[in-house]
Amino acid sequence: MAYALQQLINGISLGMIYGLIAVGYTMVYGIIGMINFAHGDIFMVGAFVALIAIVMIVSGGLMEGPGALVLVLAIAMAFTSLYGWTVERVAYRPLRGSFRLAPLISAIGMSIVLQNFVQVSQGARVKPLEPQVTGGFEIMRDGDFAVQLSNMQILIVCTTLFVLAVFTWLVTRTSLGRAMRACEQDRRMAGLLGIDTDRTISLTFVIGGSLAAVAGTLYLLRYGVIDFYIGFLAGVKAFTAAVLGGIGSLPGAVLGGLLIGLIETFWSAYFSVQYKDVAAFSILALVLILMPTGLLGRQEVEKV
Amino acid sequence: MSATLAAAADPAARLGDPILEVDQLTMRFGGLLAVDAVSFAARRGEITALIGPNGAGKTTVFNCITGFYRPTGGALRLHRADGAAVELQRLKDHRIARAGVARTFQNIRLFPGMTALENLLVAQHGPLMAATGFGIGALLGLSGYAAAERAAIGRAAAWLRATGLIDRADDPAGALPYGAQRRLEIARAMCTGPALLCLDEPAAGLNPRESEELARLLRGIRDGSAVPGAGATSVLLIEHDMGIVMRISDHVVVLDHGKKIAEGPPAQVREDRHVIAAYLGEPEEEQA
Amino acid sequence: MSGDVAAFAMAQRPRLAAAALKDAGITALVALALFAPLVGLRTDVAPNGALFLRPRWAEVAILVLLAFALRLGLVYWQAMRGPPRLPSAARAAVAARAGRLFAPVLLGLAVLLPFIPGTGRYELDLGILVLTYVMLGWGLNIVVGLAGLLDLGYVAFYAVGAYSYALLAQHFGFSFWVCLPLAGIMAAFWGVLLGFPVLRLRGDYLAIVTLAFGEIIRVVLLNWVSLTGGPNGMTGIPRPSFFGLPFSMSGGEGTFAGFFGIEPDPIHRVVFLYYLILILALLTNWVTVRIRRQPLGRAWEAMREDEIACRALGINIVATKLTAFALGAMFGGFAGAFFATRQGFISPESFTFIESAIILAIVVLGGLGSQIGVAVAAIVMIGGFELFRDLEEWRMLVFGAAMVVIMVLRPRGLVGSRTPTVALGQRRVIAAEHVAEGRG
Repeated sequence: MAYALQQLINGISLGMIYGLIAVGYTMVYGIIGMINFAHGDIFMVGAFVALIAIVMIVSGGLMEGPGALVLVLAIAMAFTSLYGWTVERVAYRPLRGSFRLAPLISAIGMSIVLQNFVQVSQGARVKPLEPQVTGGFEIMRDGDFAVQLSNMQILIVCTTLFVLAVFTWLVTRTSLGRAMRACEQDRRMAGLLGIDTDRTISLTFVIGGSLAAVAGTLYLLRYGVIDFYIGFLAGVKAFTAAVLGGIGSLPGAVLGGLLIGLIETFWSAYFSVQYKDVAAFSILALVLILMPTGLLGRQEVEKV
Repeated sequence: MSATLAAAADPAARLGDPILEVDQLTMRFGGLLAVDAVSFAARRGEITALIGPNGAGKTTVFNCITGFYRPTGGALRLHRADGAAVELQRLKDHRIARAGVARTFQNIRLFPGMTALENLLVAQHGPLMAATGFGIGALLGLSGYAAAERAAIGRAAAWLRATGLIDRADDPAGALPYGAQRRLEIARAMCTGPALLCLDEPAAGLNPRESEELARLLRGIRDGSAVPGAGATSVLLIEHDMGIVMRISDHVVVLDHGKKIAEGPPAQVREDRHVIAAYLGEPEEEQA
Repeated sequence: MSGDVAAFAMAQRPRLAAAALKDAGITALVALALFAPLVGLRTDVAPNGALFLRPRWAEVAILVLLAFALRLGLVYWQAMRGPPRLPSAARAAVAARAGRLFAPVLLGLAVLLPFIPGTGRYELDLGILVLTYVMLGWGLNIVVGLAGLLDLGYVAFYAVGAYSYALLAQHFGFSFWVCLPLAGIMAAFWGVLLGFPVLRLRGDYLAIVTLAFGEIIRVVLLNWVSLTGGPNGMTGIPRPSFFGLPFSMSGGEGTFAGFFGIEPDPIHRVVFLYYLILILALLTNWVTVRIRRQPLGRAWEAMREDEIACRALGINIVATKLTAFALGAMFGGFAGAFFATRQGFISPESFTFIESAIILAIVVLGGLGSQIGVAVAAIVMIGGFELFRDLEEWRMLVFGAAMVVIMVLRPRGLVGSRTPTVALGQRRVIAAEHVAEGRG
């Protein structure tokens, strides 16, 4: 019981990170109908920018404590969202309205570019970072097994919930959000009604990039090691989460992220660590075969 | 085929016998009753028109007949030329097509990147596939397939001639003008060798001259004179153009709000009080 | 026409210059923001294990200037470039005519390559590599290009073929010529097995599930240590023999060199492998080209164009999709078996997602459904990748950037047009804008 509770805590904090990345996938898919394959690498870039900021600010002794973390988060979000914007501008916008596979290949190319750009500029070796957020609570004890809730996990959950709350407000209550939803429904019509669709799409990438930056920062703080390759697997799993939740659905992305995090954690805890990815992917395949539009996705009616 | 029932007697099908019996057909989407216990029959050698105002459930009936929807209740019986009856509601869509029901679509569904001729060859997939020995024979270039393909091209060319598209045979279907695409879709459906041809608004978007050509083509299909050697094919059509419906139909079925409100010969339906009230409105409008 | 354009451009020049400068300035600013953290501040690990930053502002300055210059050049180039000279249908016809000549020349070159003076071991190895990708591209072209089913896990079948070959050869001692068809059949079997559950899925859902299947197979290969050797892979896979005559340096009676009475030379095996993959690739091409002209191939293309219409014409979508998956997978399996026998060693590392991505990129860059386009794309991508060998770690960066640039310039690939499979009169190519890409 205690063991399961611990796994639940671990799974939720991992799932939150996946959820943050998944929102970026699902937003882009919703608005331009493409898999932004480079999004996982945007997450990786976010982790690297955060690493550089931490080394500069905290290790450099400029600032300490929660204020420093907020600053790091802000820096990571600013620079990473610029990467998101650039990727869209360079690799996707010229292909708007063209044949569907072209942006997909372009996105795969962009993913290769980002990975290797970071490899070249920051080196291929893993970057270890000493723990920045330490300590925690013991919330339960069962024999000699103590259930730990670390400050880091609290930070992950709180930050994610806060960011998602802001994001939800942005999408549901602002004119930008309305424009985004309008573009999602019908881009041509939105354009005819005077919405600057190019700008709206760009902003979608900016928002997706900043959410990925939050995820990257949290990932870096939680695991303390990053390399240029972390984006691929995290990206694939986050996309899996987005599809699982029903692609295009924002709550679905978060739900899917949590599910993937929990499945992975519980599978590793009770079965085998090696096959945790197989478990996540098999569940994905199963869900899609049984409910082809995901858990919260809109049912697509086939018009004949 | 398990759905095939042995006919009791009279193996030879006669003109005027029902070819398709729609029996208490019901289709429900969630809480919406789109088709409510509709029964009618399309007779062999006739053109049967299914009319009704928008949202009356015509296309839903069509999609049930051609297997794109599985009906909630009722039966759809296709009487084959040998007298056997096929229960269509039990078959998958591609099996229905093989059983002898061909269809066209309200918004044309051709293969736009393939030529007109290729479109018609795809329609003959079943017999051609059998002639290839499921791929192996044709791969090795055995002669049986070549003959089968020649025959298929001949049949396609005949239908292209009948629809006035023979000069456009090698053009991509997507490059044809709208009226030509409509005709090509009918030709493609006919190339499957159907017993019953179902047309979903074939005159939509056609100009008067094209409508007239269409009427001639449909009569030719019904009488078996459109293409030399082709048998008579019964036709079931949904149409909004009352002019064409009144001119060519032998039998008209009127739907409104998912229910059948009238049926009979065009002249009789035209005078029907319910029909006028539900659909035609002012009598002048029927010539629109 | 082009004179008018030039005159117009001249008149617009001062305004153009101002706009271009502004544009390039913004680009430079963006580049500065992009490169300042990641290039300008390199994180390095100090001897005590802590991280420190090493500033590299000179590099950032160079990159920013480069971005400025590139953007300026691009703006001018776009302004000077007139409208396209030929409508796309006419261009497609020209390309098709050139293609008819080009294909035999390319084939001739491929056949004669080992005898062209100056062709050494390196060139042959490169030829083998390129041909392997040509074959994989042609195999995937059946699934993606003809049937329109987006498969992001094609490398799984390559892996199944390679491991089937290795296991059959090691455990049962079957010869290459027995193992090759068996490996193909195994891969086809897996193609059907994986194809069956995804029949209802469309588009990106299909893409992600096939990607997941590819990863599952790789993870299983990685962890099923007792069967596959896990991350260490399988070694000592038997090398192919020339119909029973081994390539041995001893030059004895029963060897290739001994039988033909020639001096033993390690190049013999390389030449043999080269022709082997050439024949396998040509077999793939031959089968594809023939099937395309037959009901099955037409049904694949029709399915790509409109699946609902296919169903209305009595085409069994399940069978049509599964044959495409099976046949594509089978050729992937053949290529895998070849890969195993050529390397003598296989490990899960050779079957990562990036391989699937490269093969798919070859198909899309070549032009969906075009055999010659895929071949050219494989030569350009794999050959080009090899050419940039001196760039070392920059090579993948250039490779990815090339993918983006080629897609932006030619979204429909090198050959986007389609040649009809049959014609009453003259066979005319169909311009790309009519050809559908499939929703699957």
